[in-house]
Amino acid sequence: MRPVLDIADLSIAANGKTLLDKVSLSIAPGERVGLIGESGSGKSLTALAAIGLLAPGLTATGAISLDGRDVIGASERSMVSLRGNVTATVFQEPLTALDPLQPVGRQIAEPLRRRLRRDGEAAGRTDVVAGVQDLLAQVALPDPLALSRRYPHELSGGQRQRVAIAMALACRPQLLIADEPTTALDVTTQAEILRLLAKLVADNGMALLFISHDLPVVARVVDRVVVMQHGVVVEAGPVGEVFSRPQHDYTRSLVAAARSFDGALEGAA
Amino acid sequence: MTTPELTIPQRHRKVSATLWVGLVLVGLHVAVALLSLVWTPYDPLGMTGGRLEAPSWAHWAGTDRLGRDFFTQIMLGSQIALVVGAGAVAIGGAIGVTLGLLAAFASRWLDDALAATLDILIAFPTLLIAMLVVAASDEASLFTAILAIGIALSAIVARLTRILAKRVLLLDYITAARTSGTSWMGIVLIHVLPNIWPTLAVNFALQFGLAAIAEASLSYLGLGAPPPNASWGHLLQEAQGTVYTAPIGAFAPGLALVILVVGINLLADGLRDVADPTRSAQR
Repeated sequence: MRPVLDIADLSIAANGKTLLDKVSLSIAPGERVGLIGESGSGKSLTALAAIGLLAPGLTATGAISLDGRDVIGASERSMVSLRGNVTATVFQEPLTALDPLQPVGRQIAEPLRRRLRRDGEAAGRTDVVAGVQDLLAQVALPDPLALSRRYPHELSGGQRQRVAIAMALACRPQLLIADEPTTALDVTTQAEILRLLAKLVADNGMALLFISHDLPVVARVVDRVVVMQHGVVVEAGPVGEVFSRPQHDYTRSLVAAARSFDGALEGAA
Repeated sequence: MTTPELTIPQRHRKVSATLWVGLVLVGLHVAVALLSLVWTPYDPLGMTGGRLEAPSWAHWAGTDRLGRDFFTQIMLGSQIALVVGAGAVAIGGAIGVTLGLLAAFASRWLDDALAATLDILIAFPTLLIAMLVVAASDEASLFTAILAIGIALSAIVARLTRILAKRVLLLDYITAARTSGTSWMGIVLIHVLPNIWPTLAVNFALQFGLAAIAEASLSYLGLGAPPPNASWGHLLQEAQGTVYTAPIGAFAPGLALVILVVGINLLADGLRDVADPTRSAQR
């Protein structure tokens, strides 16, 4: 089967400084892949490059193919349609990921209407409103009708992140990119959002690119991990294998750190 | 359907005293201008009294050199000040917002070029640019004055729009909209303009006051609407020669202009409090 996202030997440089060095990464339809590394290791940059959203001034070499179409060198016009059809993104900070001046229902309605038109489905007012309610219910938000009229600042962090996920789902993407989606949340909310993400990805048959620096979090939602350090992929493989028999020093230190944290918790308990 | 108290956005809508005073002062001018469209105490061109009369019950602000009622002329001056203010802000806003958005979205090279051009334009006094525009047109008219001031103001609006838009464009919800396939036009209309609008609106109000002053200055210099248009600047200029014998002629139009500009500034300040809840919370 053709991969949803295929990155081959991607290098990115800014003013002669190398930020990514020959990164390769491939995600099959429905596959869940984790991208792990400390901040500054190039995880988010890889994801942004994958959907053609590199900041101006960064030059990318290599090959990126999204749903079989080349991303590097593609025109902005062709990327606009490709992005909405193939991918959607959930960000780390749910407050800035929502427009503060629009009720959340309207923010979900916008990509939903576009997707309905794209798929040739009815996109009238009532269809969109019903669709928004349905999406809000899918992300397990209570009382969708009242909630859809609220503004982002009236919601809690976890609720906002659910709204952001509903916005991403509205596109019905083949690939969901989640960039540290739980980092800004407290631990209990984190667990709920992770469960929700795992369920939605499975229900909708989406592929998932889960970016995080948090090993235990990644291990819960993905099948395969790619470990990055200083812009280089140092290790890749199935979750169990990489975490039980880490080959690279950096991965070993990550695993050891997570274990010692667990150990400290158990010791304290 | 649902409980209404849940659906009403909890935004701060406290209206400050500043806003009220501003509204009253500006409202006074709007009312006078509207009234002067249908009624004035005297025929503005009729010689209805003696020359240079002092204020009296018959002539509230006295008469001018030709015996025309001065209060009537000041009332008509309100019309000109408001028309020029609104027209100049509309033109300056249209040009400025378009240029500013263009610069914010443009490639680095074009953005730098636009930003440098705007900085140079802003370094010129508004009045000087307006005078150049008037000088370049065939004859001074009310419309050239509006156009001239509008163009002069557009640089300030453009620079503000550029900075505000750039700040909004960095936020995640723009990236989220882009990843979900929103076009540039969609991003501008749905996200950027509504989010920079409160700050722009306050700035427009301030520009309105600047435009009213600029118009009076142009008219004072003989570059505004030609006579018999009763611009306040023109009235001031006419009263200049008789300022010692009939000081009210210089005082009254100046007072009218001050009331309008102070009113607009207070209004702008009040609007800012409404637009930015964090500011009113600090008071």
